[in-house]
Amino acid sequence: RANVLIIVLTEMRDKLRKWREDNHRNSEQIVDVGEELINEHASKLGDDIWIIYEQVMIAALDCSRDDLAWTCLQELKRQFPGSQRVKRLAGMRLEALEKYEDASKQYDSILQDDPTNTAARKRKISILKAQGKSAEAIRELNEYLEQFVGDQEAWHELSELYINEHDYGKAAFCLEELMMTNPHNHLYCEQYAEVKYTQGGLENLELSRKYFAQALKLNNRNMRALFGLYMSASHIAASPKVNATVKKANVKYATWATNQINRAYQVSYARCLL
Amino acid sequence: MAEPELLLDSNIRLWVVLPIVFITFLVGVIRHYVSILLQSDKKLTLEQVSDSQVLIRSRILRENGKYIPKQSFLMRKFYFNNQEDGFFKNTKRKVVPPSPMTDPSMLTDMMKGNVTNVLPMILIGGWINWTFSGFVTTKVPFPLTLRFKPMLQQGIELLSLDASWVSSASWYFLNVFGLRSMYSLILGQDNGADQSRIMQEQMSGAAMAMPADTNKAFKAEWEALELTDHQWALENIEEELMSRELDLDGMFNSKH
Repeated sequence: RANVLIIVLTEMRDKLRKWREDNHRNSEQIVDVGEELINEHASKLGDDIWIIYEQVMIAALDCSRDDLAWTCLQELKRQFPGSQRVKRLAGMRLEALEKYEDASKQYDSILQDDPTNTAARKRKISILKAQGKSAEAIRELNEYLEQFVGDQEAWHELSELYINEHDYGKAAFCLEELMMTNPHNHLYCEQYAEVKYTQGGLENLELSRKYFAQALKLNNRNMRALFGLYMSASHIAASPKVNATVKKANVKYATWATNQINRAYQVSYARCLL
Repeated sequence: MAEPELLLDSNIRLWVVLPIVFITFLVGVIRHYVSILLQSDKKLTLEQVSDSQVLIRSRILRENGKYIPKQSFLMRKFYFNNQEDGFFKNTKRKVVPPSPMTDPSMLTDMMKGNVTNVLPMILIGGWINWTFSGFVTTKVPFPLTLRFKPMLQQGIELLSLDASWVSSASWYFLNVFGLRSMYSLILGQDNGADQSRIMQEQMSGAAMAMPADTNKAFKAEWEALELTDHQWALENIEEELMSRELDLDGMFNSKH
């Protein structure tokens, strides 16, 4: 019986580790597995328990389980008093309870001790976002990025904020940064192409067609990019401002895209029949 | 020239050669852990972090600028290199060369370095010399000139003895340098037991600190960026893509 227990224990532990490493945000599952692990088997986890506390606490905040989050926080505070990482978790709990003023003060105290702490600065910006103050959030994020130009997460966040504000030019700039740092990521190319498509105008449509093509080249199975390629090519071909050669080329591209889409449908029918 | 081969007592092998290897190795491992304990955390200023990231961004622009449209590339190049207000042209960092006298943390670092590395080496070398003295330990496989005799045969007063036969002290020093690769195997690359690396660092000068470099780094980046041209990778992307059919294998398989 003891052996069965050990196997179950290691399984749960491994699951949690995999979710942690892959950055999964499946908070409900984490709370289920993690809560049982903490309540029943805390002693057998050794030093792993602290990182599990952190992981479970964040998941608990996602699921509004303040009781569980509080327990985890207390354990961490007891073990690591004065740690900035723990302070940040305390701030996140205050955010979850919508006590934004207190959370902000918490992060300010972290920044006093260590002005290079990026996590605290980013949390402050998320508070602004949660409060719906997008213009301020954009301003703060821009200032943050001036200091920390290499933070890709921040560039992505800024591009989303700009898209929400319909400022597509600036969103495109952010996505360009991401494309340069991750040249093989087809999703960034696709997002960039979509932004360019939305901006409209002949030049932007051509750019969007090219970047849809690039996304497809990086990942042959990106259906969204395939449809985007078709739409941008047909749009250009239908425009009255283009000359005959350009029109002909774009019709060719659109036809090719149509053929590929048909092929994809056939593949999906074949799979359904299996 | 045939030389009479000396036959050494096999006890020497058992009680001298092997113990010295073990001692050197263990001392090295201890030194590694002590250096970890004594490590003071380096606090980077906001400016240093920021500057290093800017340099990375500029390098990425040079390397991967071909993935963004020409206009965007030129815009960024202009931002960095513009004559009047380009970032690299204009930003000058205050350079304070960290001399050991003015910078207290550098002084303690140097002291710690000396204590953990040089001192044990001297102490243990001396102890081994005293304990294992008066006999020949091993023979180096290549012939040496007589000049090496006083250095390598400390405590053995034989004028006619070939200089290839060395004492235990020199075996100890041989070990110190030889076990370096063993340390990397066991302790990982950047370990505190690596004597020769540390000595190399000391010799190449303590002025390897970042602050002095930042202005030079900026200048170097400026030059490199000036030389970079934009070769758009997407010039013929449609032709490249459409030269063959899309690979749709496994497209609608369910994942996880």
